[in-house]
Amino acid sequence: MEERLQDLQRRALAELARLDGAGPLEDWRITFLGKKGELAEVLRGMGALPADRRPAVGMVANRVRDALEAGYAAQRELAARAADEARERAEAVDVTLPGRRNPPGAEHPLQRVIRRLEDIFVGLGFTVADGPEVELDHYNFTALNFPPEHPARDMQDTFFLTGDLLLRTHTSPVQARTLERSAPNSPLRIIVPGRVYRRDDDDATHSHAFTQCEGLVVGRGVRMSDLKGTLLAFARAMYGGDQQVRLRPSFFPFTEPSAELDVRCIHCGGAGCATCKQTGWIEILGCGMVHPNVLRMNGYDPAQVSGFAFGMGVERIAMLLYRVEDIRDFYVNDLRFLRQFAGVVL
Amino acid sequence: MKITWNWLAEYVDLSGLTPEQTASDLTNAGIPVEWMERLGPSLPGVVVGRVLSVAAHPDADRLRVCTVDVGAASPLAIVCGAANVAAGQKVPVACDGAVLPGGAITRSKLRGVVSEGMVCSAAEIGLNTKLLPKEQTSGILVLQDDARVGEPVAAYLGFDDVVLELELTPNRGDCLSLRGVAYEVAALYGRAVRMPDDAQSPRLRAGEFPLSVRIDTDLCQGYAAQVVAGVVPGPAPIWMQMRLLAVGVRPTGNIVDITNYVMYEWGQPLHAFDYDAIADGGIVVRQARDDEEVATLDGQTRRLWPDVTLIADGRKALGLAGVMGGRDSEVTGATRTVVIESARFDPLQTRKTGKALQLRSEAEQRFERGVDPAVVKPALARAVALLERHAAGRAGAPVFAGALPDADETAVEVVVSPAAIGGLLGYEVTAQELTMVCGRLGFAVRADGAPGGDRLRVSVPSRRADVAAQEDVAEEFARLAGYDRIPATLMEGELTAGGLTPRQHLQRSLRHFLLSRGLQEVWTYTLTSHAQLEKAAIVEGHPLRQAAALDNPLSEERAVLRTTMLPSLLEVAQYNANRRAPDIRIFELGAVFYPLRLPVEEQPGEARMLAGLLSGRADAGGWQGAARAFDFFDVSGMVEDILDCAGVSRRAVEAAPDTSPYFQPGQAAMFTIGGLQIALFGQVRTTVAERFDLHRAYYFEVDFDALDSLARTRLHVQRLPRHPASERDLALVVADAVTAQQLLSAVRKAAGPLLADVRVFDVFSGGATGDGRRSIGLRLVFQADDRTLTDDEINGSVAAALAGAARDVGAELRAQ
Repeated sequence: MEERLQDLQRRALAELARLDGAGPLEDWRITFLGKKGELAEVLRGMGALPADRRPAVGMVANRVRDALEAGYAAQRELAARAADEARERAEAVDVTLPGRRNPPGAEHPLQRVIRRLEDIFVGLGFTVADGPEVELDHYNFTALNFPPEHPARDMQDTFFLTGDLLLRTHTSPVQARTLERSAPNSPLRIIVPGRVYRRDDDDATHSHAFTQCEGLVVGRGVRMSDLKGTLLAFARAMYGGDQQVRLRPSFFPFTEPSAELDVRCIHCGGAGCATCKQTGWIEILGCGMVHPNVLRMNGYDPAQVSGFAFGMGVERIAMLLYRVEDIRDFYVNDLRFLRQFAGVVL
Repeated sequence: MKITWNWLAEYVDLSGLTPEQTASDLTNAGIPVEWMERLGPSLPGVVVGRVLSVAAHPDADRLRVCTVDVGAASPLAIVCGAANVAAGQKVPVACDGAVLPGGAITRSKLRGVVSEGMVCSAAEIGLNTKLLPKEQTSGILVLQDDARVGEPVAAYLGFDDVVLELELTPNRGDCLSLRGVAYEVAALYGRAVRMPDDAQSPRLRAGEFPLSVRIDTDLCQGYAAQVVAGVVPGPAPIWMQMRLLAVGVRPTGNIVDITNYVMYEWGQPLHAFDYDAIADGGIVVRQARDDEEVATLDGQTRRLWPDVTLIADGRKALGLAGVMGGRDSEVTGATRTVVIESARFDPLQTRKTGKALQLRSEAEQRFERGVDPAVVKPALARAVALLERHAAGRAGAPVFAGALPDADETAVEVVVSPAAIGGLLGYEVTAQELTMVCGRLGFAVRADGAPGGDRLRVSVPSRRADVAAQEDVAEEFARLAGYDRIPATLMEGELTAGGLTPRQHLQRSLRHFLLSRGLQEVWTYTLTSHAQLEKAAIVEGHPLRQAAALDNPLSEERAVLRTTMLPSLLEVAQYNANRRAPDIRIFELGAVFYPLRLPVEEQPGEARMLAGLLSGRADAGGWQGAARAFDFFDVSGMVEDILDCAGVSRRAVEAAPDTSPYFQPGQAAMFTIGGLQIALFGQVRTTVAERFDLHRAYYFEVDFDALDSLARTRLHVQRLPRHPASERDLALVVADAVTAQQLLSAVRKAAGPLLADVRVFDVFSGGATGDGRRSIGLRLVFQADDRTLTDDEINGSVAAALAGAARDVGAELRAQ
């Protein structure tokens, strides 16, 4: 009996090793391990054995059953893995093929600069204001201390709609409008990004329409050193943490003292290059302490409060940052130009 | 404003300074030096020669052989091609080895005759020929007789000088003169200014060449005039001509050159009249009469109006005050007696007259910025002295009218506090330091004397009329102390809350949405033309044709303010389509302008529009599948999603077909909410698209202001449903004329509160639906807050919905 069992084990395992695929494996199980299989057949002969032999033969029988079942399980595992692998092979793709794309559009470069300006100045406690592009002469000039027929008006060639209506030549009228609208002497910190117009022929450096960002701070005890500090903070946020600024005297009718602000050349870092005309500095904005006449004309009392204002060209910032050489590029909207801005974080 | 270094040195000590350093210091002090250049080439080997003889060239008709004395042991033989060469002339001679701007000159043979040098023209030695009279630029340059034979020409012409061009801001009219710049340099380096003092006693007898002046207008505050008799018109001295040339003034003859020279020197515009043209020597300053005419120096006859101030005599106009002289009283070669005018004219009116007549002369530009009243008399005296010296004149006594104050009468006192100036600048300023800086500027300072105060009285001379208040003194102090002294601080005091408004946040989220949908942001010009509107089918009479027009456009293409962004977006699409980028998805968020009436009288309405254009392929396709072109539902879906960004529910929107002329009929819609138009979109009419080289294009515009007014700015989240929803699909057949919106609203209205949502999932026409009818598949979602709905409840609701749809829009359940 033991020999029959041993023989059965040998045959069964030998056959199992020769099997290929899941179907024959199931046949093998039925043949050897099924209820009517060979092992069951042998075990049915157990009853005919003497009682004292049964435990020993039973142990052999159990070992054979365990061996066959283990062999079966191992083989089934192998078959399953083979089937999985076949399916995986069939479903594999060329992972280097291009994906199904839906690329985003790019923010317009001028809008991108404006957004960065907004974020920088909002962080410094500013809000963002705006005003009309078709402006009254009063707000564009007179309320900013450009008296009628003042030669300073020639600094800005103006498009007129009527004698009194014009396309604003700067974002500064929003200074006058905001002061006028606010409670007298209440503190203000605003920036005003927006479109402005000058009666200039379009060329690589001039555009009849361009974009400015104005800033105005008014409060008790505001100093010119605060102007410098605020603009230094701005320059570092915009152009890098080690930026330096320099003020140079200038003139604007609505500020006194007035200044131009230079930053270290962002291309050469101050060593001197073509962009900064070898000076190491580049002018980026005009600024100054709000002229007392402007405060007075718009309902604030210069004896109580002081303030500073600044105005920068958004195109100029963008041209410097991205090395754009022709201002018209911003308005032609060539997609090959604009798309490039999808690929930069700042 | 141009000046030269050597000229400046006449009024302020420049010893120990270089033009480069001074230019840099001036720039840092707010007088930017834009540009500097040596006045002329050094011209080694070019000397003054005297032509001894001129003989014909043996072998060439056009050439001549000259002998020229250049101060060497023997004269040079020079072959010269100029027609104007003549014996006795003094001429610039480039000797063998000389270097001209055009190259080196060497001894050479010309048609067989040895030439030992070259007689030079004005251009050859580097003179600006544009400003020289023709007789000095054609042929060789003939020098004045005072030139010494053998003297280097560069030295004779004063070429060893530097021209500096100042970029002046409008407040610094004082620096439109050498005197003003000299005071600026003096302040920078603590030096003194020395202006020429030419007070002389008259040499004409009283009653000889009588002259009188009467001012009959408020627009002339003072007028000084003086007769100079016996003048001999001729060229001005070479140094004077060279200085005028260097600063860009055309030399025309000694008398006018002297008035220009003194204008540059003192900043006071002068004018020279021919005395004989003034009836009875009686000058009247008055306003013009209506339609009065005057012939000006530029040869034009000007028709005037009463705002214009005139210089006249008892009979006729002689010139425009402060702007331009008259032709009839012009100084000519025949003039023997002149009257020099030095006057104060109203800045505003001078500017207005200059602008109206388009005569922005050097004089006008100075008057409009304000001329120092204290220089009227010294400038006149200076000009008269120069006329005596360089035009052989004899001066009469000056005649004065109106207010002609001396310098000590015109200073203005400004009261300042050093502490306040320090408070404005942000660093401590002492009285001592302020007094010192004012001293360098030539501003006298004395203590105010008020008890307990630190105030100072600063006496500002009238040459600096721009300094009138404490802030102005603060700027003068700051720029001379150096702006670098201002520290960088951050604001103290009252807090302000920074941040963006809901409207600004909405702009950002709309941009963000469209960008992530793959739309490219563009910025186009707001100035456009009627032709462009016409091209976009916005024809005469259409409301969008009511565009605000500029009064002074630069071109027809940019003459009106846009009322819609459609043409400019089509233009962008066209530009890119023509550059092999036919798939367009772009948007712009910008302003459009609606005038309240035409012609424009008041500020037009400015609306912010969010507009976009889709053209070409929605999906470019590729190896995974076929391409798909944009269609109407891409643009309508985009608009619906845009509304979603603002929290505006599609259910709140009324959609209706739009019939704008630029849209394809049957492919355009308008969204309104409670009668407020919020969006317009559709397929651009194919005839319009083709004009812009596009096949099909879809345009949308969302009224940003309207959307902003409806935008949700708060959210209270809804509890998530705790009971499951049930869905039912219905296929309803309706007549083609019935819109989806009508069917949906009929179903919503009838189904009752259990209907949580209904949407179209299928549209089908033809086959069993019958002609003129279509089947619309609706998916109805039922849900209650407090229970799971039973089949009976849902069936009841569906039955109600069906009944309502049948009643309102004639819908029938589609036969299965």
